[in-house]
Amino acid sequence: MNPAATPSPKPDTEDGRWMNIHNRYVSEAKEKEPEVIMVGDSLIQYLEHLDYWNRAFAPMHTLNFGIGGDMTQHVLWRILNGELDNVKPKVVVILVGTNNSESAEEVAEGILEIVRVTREKQPEAYIVLLSLLPKGYLPNPLRDKNESINVIIREKAQAMPKVEVLNIGQGLVQPDGTISHHDMYDYLHLTNAGYEKAFEPLAELLQQLLSEGEPEQDLTPSE
Amino acid sequence: MKMVLSQRQREELNKAVADYLSSNGYMEALEAFKRDADMPGEVERKYGGLLEKKWTSVIRLQKKVMELESKLSEAEKEFIEGAPTRGKRSPGEWIPRPPEKHCLTGHRAPVTKVIFHPVFSLMVSASEDATLKVWDFETGEYERTLKGHTDSVQDIAFDQTGKLLVSCSADMSIKLWDFQQSYACLKTMHGHDHNVSSVTFMPGGDFIVSSSRDKTIKMWEVANGYCVKTFMGHREWVRLVRVYQDGSLIASCSNDQTVRVWVVSSKECKVELRDHDHVIECIAWAPESAHSAINEAAGADNKKGAFQGPFLASGSRDKTIKLWDVSTGMCLFTLHGHDNWVRGVVFHPGGKFLLSASDDKTLRVWDLRNKRCSKKLDAHQHFCTSIDFHKTHPYVVTGSVDQTVKVWECR
Repeated sequence: MNPAATPSPKPDTEDGRWMNIHNRYVSEAKEKEPEVIMVGDSLIQYLEHLDYWNRAFAPMHTLNFGIGGDMTQHVLWRILNGELDNVKPKVVVILVGTNNSESAEEVAEGILEIVRVTREKQPEAYIVLLSLLPKGYLPNPLRDKNESINVIIREKAQAMPKVEVLNIGQGLVQPDGTISHHDMYDYLHLTNAGYEKAFEPLAELLQQLLSEGEPEQDLTPSE
Repeated sequence: MKMVLSQRQREELNKAVADYLSSNGYMEALEAFKRDADMPGEVERKYGGLLEKKWTSVIRLQKKVMELESKLSEAEKEFIEGAPTRGKRSPGEWIPRPPEKHCLTGHRAPVTKVIFHPVFSLMVSASEDATLKVWDFETGEYERTLKGHTDSVQDIAFDQTGKLLVSCSADMSIKLWDFQQSYACLKTMHGHDHNVSSVTFMPGGDFIVSSSRDKTIKMWEVANGYCVKTFMGHREWVRLVRVYQDGSLIASCSNDQTVRVWVVSSKECKVELRDHDHVIECIAWAPESAHSAINEAAGADNKKGAFQGPFLASGSRDKTIKLWDVSTGMCLFTLHGHDNWVRGVVFHPGGKFLLSASDDKTLRVWDLRNKRCSKKLDAHQHFCTSIDFHKTHPYVVTGSVDQTVKVWECR
């Protein structure tokens, strides 16, 4: 059995935070009416606390369901247990897998399982699958692993209907193979500038998906 | 202008004068001055050129001040002449002008609704922090907080006298508050099976109408708190309910993308208005004063064959505002311009304008006759959730997800 594709709640720390956060997300899903939901790990979660979030994503009525340290199996468990119920988002954005310890094939399978469950829960929604980001100051096996996962994902998910595979890692690895601390302060998490670089394509894609089918804007002159 | 120098300043001035005399070679005067001022010995270096410096900097500052003043008066001129002055403003034409008169902070979560008191210079805001707050919109002073709900307050309304306030909440209850003396919660009404989204008084003040995410609209008797009628038909969450001025009709809008108009006496749905492509967030009945502007906008000849009304405006997540003739169920025209969900609409008491609040963070003033946006105010830092226009005083109030309430003066 592939642990990365088997839903499981995160073994709780004694303070029970993980489950508390999950429960809060479930109740937010019930109360709010998001047009976009982002699920994933810390790379998703931290985005919400930036000014960039308020400028780019909050105006699109986005809910952020990221939890730091989450692996594919945890996100899988969360979306099977309420986070995608009682909502009708137009887009679900997924970014998870970099914390997994399983093999590239197994992690990819876990991500594809998340896509399958998301599709089941939200038959109408677009699913935007973000590529895993590179990590580590210098080239290293984990960076290669994330890249292998991305290759598998692209190959298998690209043809799926209403699934967009979006590469967000561009420009993070410099020509000499290093990652700048200006983009990733700990060579894993993004800085403010790193987020703007990496998530700009997402902001644009979401804008397009949300305004799909709308008539051309009539630019009303104002005083 | 009488200048008073401190001891220390006087000594400094003396030294600066002495330096001036010595550096200009007025030696006799210097000796005499030193004797008079009781200041023996040499003048320290740091006073070199001080007097000249002060002398010239005063002139430089004066120049700067004059520059700034002329800039200011230019800006004021532009700002004031773009609009009538306070003295010349007329109630039929006044519209809110930036900047805001007051920015009121205190809520700890997004503000969901703002309304004016019909009599006093007070307004009330409702918030997701489960409280209501009362403010004086003229002075910008905070008056009090009404606590009792246990979840987001969704809507609030006064009766015509302003003696009673009603509120509804995601905690599924409706609360009546005494607004005369005690500000106490007089009654709590339960009956909806889900989030109560909207509440309002019937014109006489004896009944309350509410709508809910449970898809129903209910009517409650104020005297005993009993539910006396239930209107069913919406297929999803009902967002807002508003009663026509004469109390015969109720309009409601819903996530099912329709506006429905109900006959109060028979509970039947008189007409269904369909043309929006997304959830309809808000509605407002047009006052009598707006009829001629609406007719003109709709292209009707005001003398013969005019649309009869009543008229209703609706704002939607499809970013548009639509004007409807309820008697025929026709959409007369659509106002495009907002870049995000339209969250609040209110008619100008004079009838020439419609005002709207939107998640694009702006407040817009629409010239009904010409169907165009005549003013756009960047009102808040986050979604603008609610707007109200005072019936007689020149004030507009807006509420926002940024947790603030803003009072705008009209000119």
